[in-house]
Amino acid sequence: MLLEQLINGLTLGSIYAIVALGFTLVFGVLGIINMAHGEIFMIGAFIGVLVTSVLGLPLWIAFIAAIAVTALLGYMLERIALRPLRGKQGVSHLAPLISTIGVSILLENLSHHIFGAGNHPFRNSFAEIQIQIGSITIYIVQILIFVISIALMLILSYWLSKTKAGKALRATAENLETASLLGVNTKRTITTTVIIASALGGIAGILVGMAFNSVNPQMGLSMGLKGLAIIILGGMGNVKGAMAGGLLLGVAETMIVAYGDSGYRDAVAFITIIFVLLLRPQGLFGKNTSEAGR
Amino acid sequence: MLGELLNPYHLQIASFIMINIILGISIYITLSSGQLSLGNAGFMGIGAYTSALLTIHFELPIFIGVILGALVAGIFGILIGIPALRLSGVYLAIATLGFGEVIRVIFVNWESVTQGAVGLSGVPHLGRELFKTVTAMGFEPEMLGLRNNQVVYLMVLTLLVVINILLIWFFIRQNKSRVGRAFAAIKMDEKAAESMGINITYYKVLSFTQGALLAGFAGALYAHVMAYISPADFAYHRAIEILIFSVFGGSEVIWGAIFGATFMTILPEALRVISEYRYMIYGVILILMMAFRPQGIIDVSLLKWIKNMIKSRRRTDHGTGTKKHN
Amino acid sequence: MRKIAKKSYLLISVLMLILLAACSGNGTVPASGDSSKNAGGPVSAKIGVISYLSGPGAAYGEAITNGFNLALDEINKKGDVKIELVIEDSAGKQEQALTVAQKLMSDDDIVGLLGPTLSTEMNVVGPEADLNGIPIMGTSTTAAGIPQIGDYVFRNSLPESLAIPAALEKAVAANDAKTVAILYGNDDLFTKSGYDTMKKEAENMGLDILTIETFQKGQSDYNAQLTKIKDLKPDLILASALYNEGAVIMDQARKMGIDVPFVGGNGFNSPQVIEIAGDASEGLIVATPWFGEKDEPKVQEFVKKYEEKYGAKPDQFAAQAYDALYIMEEGLKNAGEADRDALRDALAEIKDLDGVLGKFSFDKVGDVVMEPTVLIIKEGKFQLFE
Repeated sequence: MLLEQLINGLTLGSIYAIVALGFTLVFGVLGIINMAHGEIFMIGAFIGVLVTSVLGLPLWIAFIAAIAVTALLGYMLERIALRPLRGKQGVSHLAPLISTIGVSILLENLSHHIFGAGNHPFRNSFAEIQIQIGSITIYIVQILIFVISIALMLILSYWLSKTKAGKALRATAENLETASLLGVNTKRTITTTVIIASALGGIAGILVGMAFNSVNPQMGLSMGLKGLAIIILGGMGNVKGAMAGGLLLGVAETMIVAYGDSGYRDAVAFITIIFVLLLRPQGLFGKNTSEAGR
Repeated sequence: MLGELLNPYHLQIASFIMINIILGISIYITLSSGQLSLGNAGFMGIGAYTSALLTIHFELPIFIGVILGALVAGIFGILIGIPALRLSGVYLAIATLGFGEVIRVIFVNWESVTQGAVGLSGVPHLGRELFKTVTAMGFEPEMLGLRNNQVVYLMVLTLLVVINILLIWFFIRQNKSRVGRAFAAIKMDEKAAESMGINITYYKVLSFTQGALLAGFAGALYAHVMAYISPADFAYHRAIEILIFSVFGGSEVIWGAIFGATFMTILPEALRVISEYRYMIYGVILILMMAFRPQGIIDVSLLKWIKNMIKSRRRTDHGTGTKKHN
Repeated sequence: MRKIAKKSYLLISVLMLILLAACSGNGTVPASGDSSKNAGGPVSAKIGVISYLSGPGAAYGEAITNGFNLALDEINKKGDVKIELVIEDSAGKQEQALTVAQKLMSDDDIVGLLGPTLSTEMNVVGPEADLNGIPIMGTSTTAAGIPQIGDYVFRNSLPESLAIPAALEKAVAANDAKTVAILYGNDDLFTKSGYDTMKKEAENMGLDILTIETFQKGQSDYNAQLTKIKDLKPDLILASALYNEGAVIMDQARKMGIDVPFVGGNGFNSPQVIEIAGDASEGLIVATPWFGEKDEPKVQEFVKKYEEKYGAKPDQFAAQAYDALYIMEEGLKNAGEADRDALRDALAEIKDLDGVLGKFSFDKVGDVVMEPTVLIIKEGKFQLFE
């Protein structure tokens, strides 16, 4: 049973990690917590349902469609909710937080109206393929999710540290004005970041649909809050931290159910938030700076 | 005559407005020292459950229950407020959001005390208890030509209005006092305020605790006006609703939160059509307000302008003196 | 500075105007029409309906009001009693349910209330209606303790305390079950209340409860709980879940290789389960007041009429609402006048009224007395479980 639960935990954790990667990217560059990320993830999942179950198209098209739609959403998020606030005089640093909360409730309730409150099944023959090892059943999807999340983390780290665009991004993160003086097109860099982060959310959405066969408008909120807990645990803006934090939370939640009280499963994430923030605001993997937590 | 004027439906809405105003002030008061707390729904829940449990199990009078509810929420406010001093801005918002959710999970799971998701029914109703007292004293609603539920809700509303007037008066006084100025200084620039000799720790915890206390107070009143509470009443959506009061109405002045709470309570009632799209509209409001008027509808300059308007009108009304343009 | 102030003043005044305009529409005193007691002729009465018509659970409210409207047409055509419905939306929220209830109760012409949809709402509205002496009947409130709120509070919806034991007894007998695992949503009144009944009943029947697991709203991963349950090898799984989550749970359980039957509560009973979970839904056992395939002319006629009018098959909520209005009709007929107290007394007397759900009576506190039907999902549809 331990092994099975570990697999469950890692599957869940990998999805958490991909969601958290999107969070951490936006935070790393803009210093903004994108509360709408969970809802973008949810929309991605719904696009998956639409393409595979309703239209009956193959899975790879679902992936492309979900990435395209969530990327577009990311662009709109940047244009409508974030850019108007940037560089404006007298706008408090809380404004982007509140504005993205606005986007998140808007999207959640919009999909309520469009798709209804119910669960939508995600029918896909690929999700049914399984391997039997002894008494343990492993689904190919579970392995795929794990592999995708690791791959995304590696690609992101490489992209951030080695490519020109990644360097521009980090420069922007360091100091917006200096970066733009040095010839970085900060506007484009920021937009790119939000788009990539949102597309990551879309990928995570499809993976959840495949793994758990359940897509509903409420899933964005709980996933968003989990993602938030993870980046705080892993250190804000830290790619590897997001990955480790995600896996850790996934396994912790599964183990709480397996060996503890399943009623407190959701509390794990929130208690983590409180304790990490109070004891080690820079997160488990964050660098210790005086600015952390401020 | 009086009986026709007083529609319990309108009295009911007015009572909710009063409770929401207290919630609006509770988030305003923490914001006034530059702290954004998203945990007010949690504090509200603590107040509500404390008062409800005390009045149900120990048969305490409601007003003692409400006061104790507010106090317990205030104590939690201190307990959270002190360690939360290390955090500011978004971090504080998220930590308090986490706190609110933890509180809700505890209400759901602590079944032996809170009955879990089933909620607490049979909480003594503020109006009905008052009604019992006055009828015991020999008062009959017919004496005023009123029906039972009119009297019940009239009494609740009157009580809430009195409470609100006292609270608003107190906080306006406080804003003009040393405490209010300290809050404002901290909100402007924490480091500068510190170097000016303001005890940051004290004032930040004070404003956080006042917010928690008020939210708990509003929660306790809510419990006794609804006579039934369940954990879902104090979830994330409630926190957002409270946030809207202040973001929409205005977070710079106390009148902003009051206006926001009033407007946001009437809106879905007045426009039934809107009710279905309520949360969508909330979302749009948050986005638009941040983009175009981050300080909220009512801000200092608007207040000043209104004051001038009233003043100048008075002057012309008296017919003496000439208008001065500056 | 001046300019900003002017602008915002304009904004405020516009907003206020909108509000005022809307308020005035709301505040009009209802014209007291022909709903007075006209002696000799048929009783005519207004009945208030509080229903969940907007928000995430709007589908329930829609089915319920459809049921009311269908019955209303028939009753008014028949002409024994003339009924007028005043329908208000509660949006599934307690505050709103209470305010619309106040609105309805302060209209003296309204002699009875139907609804609200959720038990949480009834917990708030019920005491208020009782205080004001207006009979109120829930058509979908199944949680424990609802009719006990007061003398004026009734319901015609089959409570979980009748439905679950019926399903459980048959399931245990058929599968020769000794051990069970319980899984329930702990943050929802409906599923929590169903769980309380399940646990009590399982204990009464001497079943061995291996584990009790919970889940929360919006959760999509139930693998951890199910892996634990699978390991304990129960004979039956008792799941108190709404069909939405329940269907996903069954899907994940079957994928994992759990093939024991599931016993569900009232909320699990929906054709949607088959739609969402497909083959995985096989083996779900539920008790229900409503079975649309029943071979009875009354039932078939109702199904046909409902489908004609609304283009969908009626579910239990529509059927319960349909019967509820007929119960009101009977009450008004027996009361002989449109009076709140007379209606209450007449309702309390109702015995063996024939409806699409079967024979219906109120017990002493105003709760339901009726025989539920136990169903199982087999070959992709609900069938009678013998």
